Amino acid sequence: MPKQHVYLKGNEAVAYGALEAGLNAYFAYPITPSSEIPETLAKEFGNKEYPEYKFFLQAASELEAINMVLGAASGGARAMTATSSPGFSLKQEALSYAAGMELPFLIVDICRAGPGLGNLGPEQSDYFQSTKGGGHGNYHLIVLAPASVQEMALFPRIGFDLAFKYRNPALILGDSFIGQLKEDVEFPEFEPQRYDVSSWATTGAKNRPPHVLNSLELDYQKHYKHVGKIFEKYKQVEANEVLYEAYHTEDAETVIVAFGIAARIAKGVVNNLRKKGIKVGLLRPITLWPFPKKPLRKLASEGKRFLVVELNTGQMLQDVKLATGDSVTVDFLGRWGGVVPTESEMESKLRRLEMVAV
Amino acid sequence: MTQTVVVAQPRAFVKILEERCKACELCVVSCPQGNLKISSKLNHAGFHPAEFAYQGTKGECTGCAICYWVCPDFAISEIQVKG
Amino acid sequence: MSQTTLKVKVGKLLSLTDNPTHYCAGCEHGTLTRLIASAMDELGIREKTVMIDSVGCSVLAYNYFNCDHIVAAHGRAPAVATGLKRVRPDLMVFTVQGDGDAASIGLLELIYAAQRGTPITVFLVNNSIYGMTGGQMAPTTLAGQVTTTTPYGRDPVLTGTELDASKMLSGIEGAAYVKRASLVVTELESQRGKLYTIKNILDAKKSVENAFKVQALGGFTFVEFLSTCSINWKMSILESKRYVQEHTMKKFPLGLYRDTFGVEKK
Repeated sequence: MPKQHVYLKGNEAVAYGALEAGLNAYFAYPITPSSEIPETLAKEFGNKEYPEYKFFLQAASELEAINMVLGAASGGARAMTATSSPGFSLKQEALSYAAGMELPFLIVDICRAGPGLGNLGPEQSDYFQSTKGGGHGNYHLIVLAPASVQEMALFPRIGFDLAFKYRNPALILGDSFIGQLKEDVEFPEFEPQRYDVSSWATTGAKNRPPHVLNSLELDYQKHYKHVGKIFEKYKQVEANEVLYEAYHTEDAETVIVAFGIAARIAKGVVNNLRKKGIKVGLLRPITLWPFPKKPLRKLASEGKRFLVVELNTGQMLQDVKLATGDSVTVDFLGRWGGVVPTESEMESKLRRLEMVAV
Repeated sequence: MTQTVVVAQPRAFVKILEERCKACELCVVSCPQGNLKISSKLNHAGFHPAEFAYQGTKGECTGCAICYWVCPDFAISEIQVKG
Repeated sequence: MSQTTLKVKVGKLLSLTDNPTHYCAGCEHGTLTRLIASAMDELGIREKTVMIDSVGCSVLAYNYFNCDHIVAAHGRAPAVATGLKRVRPDLMVFTVQGDGDAASIGLLELIYAAQRGTPITVFLVNNSIYGMTGGQMAPTTLAGQVTTTTPYGRDPVLTGTELDASKMLSGIEGAAYVKRASLVVTELESQRGKLYTIKNILDAKKSVENAFKVQALGGFTFVEFLSTCSINWKMSILESKRYVQEHTMKKFPLGLYRDTFGVEKK
């Protein structure tokens, strides 16, 4: 696999990206439009270029796959699985358990139209499920939203790193558009940071007291402290790991807030309108959790207006409103069902809102 | 009726952790020699724990360890036999 | 009074913690815990054994076994075991699951672990009921048996007949050792009157050891243990033992259902 000028699909890129990031074990379950991820990893099994890639297995269900990941992660391995929205729904229980057990692993959700079977078109409607916790209880996933095939290739590095640094599952939330998009990718030299798992992994209680990886705590006061400790950890994540892109926002009057494929399209809108001298910018959250509240708050305090564009009925919209406060105009353009908003649709929306005099 | 008779040369001894016993009586019915019975003591959980007599209703304890294997609570924690 | 020196024949097990168990009086979970811990000690595997705890009465087993534990979601233990064993094949990995956990919500995980021949061990405690949640119907509840969700007796026409996990697994090539044993003390009529024998418990002990031995040889092993639940069956402890003897053992005959390595022939 060459390290530069590789022409790959988003799904393939995230698979190779995981291999480059030191993946040890992959547990698969096919679901369109993410199946290229396990297919690529099945094909590359045994490739000596990736000596740390030791195990691949297709499970019999989404539940089996994620629980195998949980078991492998418990042993200290870098484990991963990928799915799409209906499968992501099924895996929520295991994600809740894993957050409570403080287990690090990587999961990819290639979001498709919902609810239910929906269709295979792109949506961003797993935002709530990903950032507000689709599983039960108090917890968060660390969520990364790629907007290009290059980001699909690089985010496994960030995902595994944050997962092991904070002992929490990390999610790469893509969509079927980015998953199928083919672009030029490069894999820069990279040595993953090695985190010591010997203080918690279940590797056999030899010369040490037993390790118990468990989310059950029947003593309510102890459990209050345990979850409190996890949330102290999340405070650290929020303080240190926010990632976002600010594109032409400094002098913008209106800022589009979008992630993933919506942001990709919005960038084109910003470029078009800037050519006409219209001051539009884009704030693109890269980590959906932790959410870039501070930069949004700063832009709001500078008197800017916001247009949130998402492929859903208004999910990140709520977080933008929360971050920017009451006195700010936040409007919304949503498309769902697999329909992707076009540049001209976004531009007419901006016009209609009389935000932009064209 | 068992008696806590002091046996001159005991062949075996059953150690019972009274606080662990839940008085299920499985040891009482399983002992082939009748060496175990429910005592009138009370442990902290409110159970009457089993107690051991060297000389049972049917004979002396032989250290067969049936009670050890049948006890679900590890209350019968040790069987000692003549070395 | 002279005391001859007595030495310990059986006693403290390294693989057991000092914690008392929460199990109901007379429950075979306690018996199984002692058998597994004894096997771990005898085979010297404690330091490389990881237990996958399940949801059910045995969920607190991490307080009783002195080894590493992962506490899995309901039914998922064989999948978690597979994930761990495949990245750490040097470890001895076993699960303890109830009949609801393994044969209801976790049936797929159980069948596939056997189907793949993954070298892990599943111990299924079959007491024909959902114990921890208060006595609802389980896949192994006997026809006509009263539970809180079958208050008029289990109707096999609506709910199906008793699920026989050992028989189901016996037809799977990947399963190397499939055994149904019993942890229940059984009544015998003899010349000396009524006797209770632990013959089945001692055979169950050997089955536990065999299960670990065959896992070490690379096979998937499964032992189903017939047990009681006197509290939820609403019987006395001894009545519940009798129930297994008179009813359960007839529906679920004990025996060796599969033995690819011929470990019981030796």
